[in-house]
Amino acid sequence: MGIKNLTKLLGDHAPGCCREQAFDNYFGRRIAVDASMHIYQFLVVVGRTGEQGLTSEAGDDTSHLQGMFYRTAKMLEAGIKPVYVFDGKPPAMKKQELAKRTERRDEATEALEEAKETGGEADVAKYSKRTVRVTQQHNEECRRLLRLMGVPVVEAPSEAEAQCAQMCKEGMVYGTASEDMDSLTFATPKLIRNLMKPVTQNVPINEYDYDKVLEGLKLTPDQFVDLCILCGCDYLGTIKGIGGMRALTLIQKHGSLEKVLANLDSGKYDVPDPFPYEEARRMFKEPEVLRGDALPALKWGAADEDGLVKFLVEDKNFSEERIRKVVEKINASRSKATQGRLESFFGPVTMKSSTAGSKRKEPPKPAKGKGAAVKKGEVGGVSKGGGKKK
Amino acid sequence: MFEARLTQGGLLKKLLDAVKDLVTDGNFDCSTTGFGLQAMDTSHVSLVSMMLRSDGFDHYRCDRNISMGMNLANMAKMLKCANDKDIVTMKAEDQGDTITFMFESENQERISDFELKLMDIDSEQLGIPDTEYTATVRMPSSEFQRICKDLASIGDTVLISVTKDGVKFSTSGDIGSANITIRQSTSADKPEDNTLIDMQEPVALTFALRYLNSFAKATPLSPTVTLSMSKELPVVVEYRISDIGHISFYLAPKIEDEEMDDNE
Repeated sequence: MGIKNLTKLLGDHAPGCCREQAFDNYFGRRIAVDASMHIYQFLVVVGRTGEQGLTSEAGDDTSHLQGMFYRTAKMLEAGIKPVYVFDGKPPAMKKQELAKRTERRDEATEALEEAKETGGEADVAKYSKRTVRVTQQHNEECRRLLRLMGVPVVEAPSEAEAQCAQMCKEGMVYGTASEDMDSLTFATPKLIRNLMKPVTQNVPINEYDYDKVLEGLKLTPDQFVDLCILCGCDYLGTIKGIGGMRALTLIQKHGSLEKVLANLDSGKYDVPDPFPYEEARRMFKEPEVLRGDALPALKWGAADEDGLVKFLVEDKNFSEERIRKVVEKINASRSKATQGRLESFFGPVTMKSSTAGSKRKEPPKPAKGKGAAVKKGEVGGVSKGGGKKK
Repeated sequence: MFEARLTQGGLLKKLLDAVKDLVTDGNFDCSTTGFGLQAMDTSHVSLVSMMLRSDGFDHYRCDRNISMGMNLANMAKMLKCANDKDIVTMKAEDQGDTITFMFESENQERISDFELKLMDIDSEQLGIPDTEYTATVRMPSSEFQRICKDLASIGDTVLISVTKDGVKFSTSGDIGSANITIRQSTSADKPEDNTLIDMQEPVALTFALRYLNSFAKATPLSPTVTLSMSKELPVVVEYRISDIGHISFYLAPKIEDEEMDDNE
């Protein structure tokens, strides 16, 4: 998923590109949300105990609806205007990656069976998460839910992230909400991570600024795309032995992927064959997206209370009282005037740096902590659970 | 080299109290003109702009323009250690990475040095255009503070409407509504107790009370406050600090949303 190690690389080499933001600060902003990715996350996380996500009485999954409904409501209440973008047809180049994912899912299914027999609870939970698959039905139900909530939906012809980036570039939205760093490769001016995380997790929202990414890494937009390809993206295999740090040094030194490959010690590094990087580059730079007039006008309507009750309560066994309460809150927040921002009156914000004290640069943040810490925790969990560590 | 000595040291303390809840850190600008700060809250709804002119200090020296990044909460912690009547001197080297606050008691018996580490920060700035406001209201600052506080217990937002007779503050909330009208007055014994209205055309704007209450923390700095408003522009809430400068707050109004489609 995404670009390998890009988060860490940015944390180390372009610390200024990422700012922490408070959820409430996004009031009045239009935000393109990568729907498919979030539906997957909801299915994995929301209400999961052991092997089970949330289901209706009929046994249908409802984790995605639960997550989508409450998070979207939260945004609407805060005055945020989300627009959900759904994936279209996956690009041909992604087939390999998708095949790998299916394979991993099959492996996980087997491991899950095994874990169920040996009875490691932690393992059952872990492997069952990996078997999660977003189906057409999940997507369809989410579309229906969003329409009932009055939230606009955009169907991307291909990759949702690319579509979000395009909308952001055209100024239709303020930023792209996704967890995938790919969005930056598609040059979205602003990438917002953790926007859809549940409040209870209390993770700060990270906002990445594309221009500052380039500035921090000292790369041109083209070089940045090359860097992402070299780090490892969804479209191509990786070159063994080249991680984020080395990829950055190589691109900075040689200036382009062609020259990096030409100068690579073929005895030391194994470039996958074929390595159609030019095509991957085109995927990032000229993705298949809706542009300009082809994009629908965005409108946020009132939530349809009766429709939501019928769908969520009658069909999916949600609590009627809760649903009605949330709908009431959403619709009440619509009548409130929105808070203005000073820049809409006084023109754009400029940056000013301190002149004194500049010698004492802040040390680069320790690798964003998160990725590494979580992984350590997982490994610990597995060995403690006495599981199948091969 | 920057050095500034202020007999009324309590002033800095009050200034910090007025801004530290609004912004977390900012770049203080030192130039021959004076010691100033412009900073915004993270949501870009409000902006504070303050300036202490060099001629208001007892001693002021600034060889080169410098911009010092400071965390306001930390700065406030240090200034809190000064007594109100202490003489405060700020000192910083051009290339240094600290600023020193020196507090001298009135009788010179107690002298303390507090050294604050400077931070290298990028602060967000706005170019504020010069505007002729169509309505300005000058009123006692304590009156303004009380209105904001009282109304905040009823509602979240306040509609401020200025007419030639007076200025009306209205709010409504779940429990009910409230209106407070202050009439133009010129009869009070002390000039600062009067309310003066200068208006070319009536104006009415809605603001979040949360911010106005935060601005009102500047009340101890000045007996009067001036509200300047024009249609569809941010309000300016200004406190003039006698003989030395001012602190002004800009607040973006609430606006009607056009993208909400009500026909569905």
